[in-house]
Amino acid sequence: MRVIVSAVFLALVCLGVIVLTTGHDEELDPLLYDYVSEHFYEDTSARNAVAAVLLNYRMYDTIFEALILLTAIVGMMQFLPGVEGDVGVDGEEPDHE
Amino acid sequence: MSKPITDESQIISVVIGFLYPFMLLLGFYVIINGHYTPGGGFQGGGILASVFIARYVVHPVEDISDTRLHAFERLFLALILVAPILLLFNGLIYRYPFLQVHYLTLMDILIGLQVGLGLAVVVDRFAFFKGVGPSWR
Repeated sequence: MRVIVSAVFLALVCLGVIVLTTGHDEELDPLLYDYVSEHFYEDTSARNAVAAVLLNYRMYDTIFEALILLTAIVGMMQFLPGVEGDVGVDGEEPDHE
Repeated sequence: MSKPITDESQIISVVIGFLYPFMLLLGFYVIINGHYTPGGGFQGGGILASVFIARYVVHPVEDISDTRLHAFERLFLALILVAPILLLFNGLIYRYPFLQVHYLTLMDILIGLQVGLGLAVVVDRFAFFKGVGPSWR
């Protein structure tokens, strides 16, 4: 029963997402696109528009990308025990049973 | 630790020893030219981490401390946080435009080293994972 309810719920969520993402007819002006592609060299003196966006216009995005990488590595180091014995929760050596 | 997979393979160790400088060169080229060509810190960091994979293939002995690599990675993340605060967010590189290229290169190098060290930690942990321990039942 729980499986069926979960399946129906997930199907409804998927349907809702599809309806929400295909049903809109909003047209945005490409102002930011035009501005970045025309002015990125004199704004940031980067010859590559992607680098200009990543390192200047969207610096917060890059900072938190690096932070996400660090978070993933911290979680991985927590859940994969190393051979140095530095990740034990209770501080005891892993015993090979 | 089981028997190393390259005990008899002289070919792999010689060829990968020949390839080390080219991998480092390609990685730092992609990092430093991140604002001229496609590429940048994240991609170059991935290339730098492949050096650790090659080293594991040739010489699978854990003699690099994961925790030390992780400490350096956190240091570079702190520098990634500090450099834009000092240079970008207060408008310093707009007042002195000659700093802009140096700022881009500095950020590419910092991001590349951070990503490379982080992926090296991942590679080491998965390569030397033994499947037992207090948090792995």
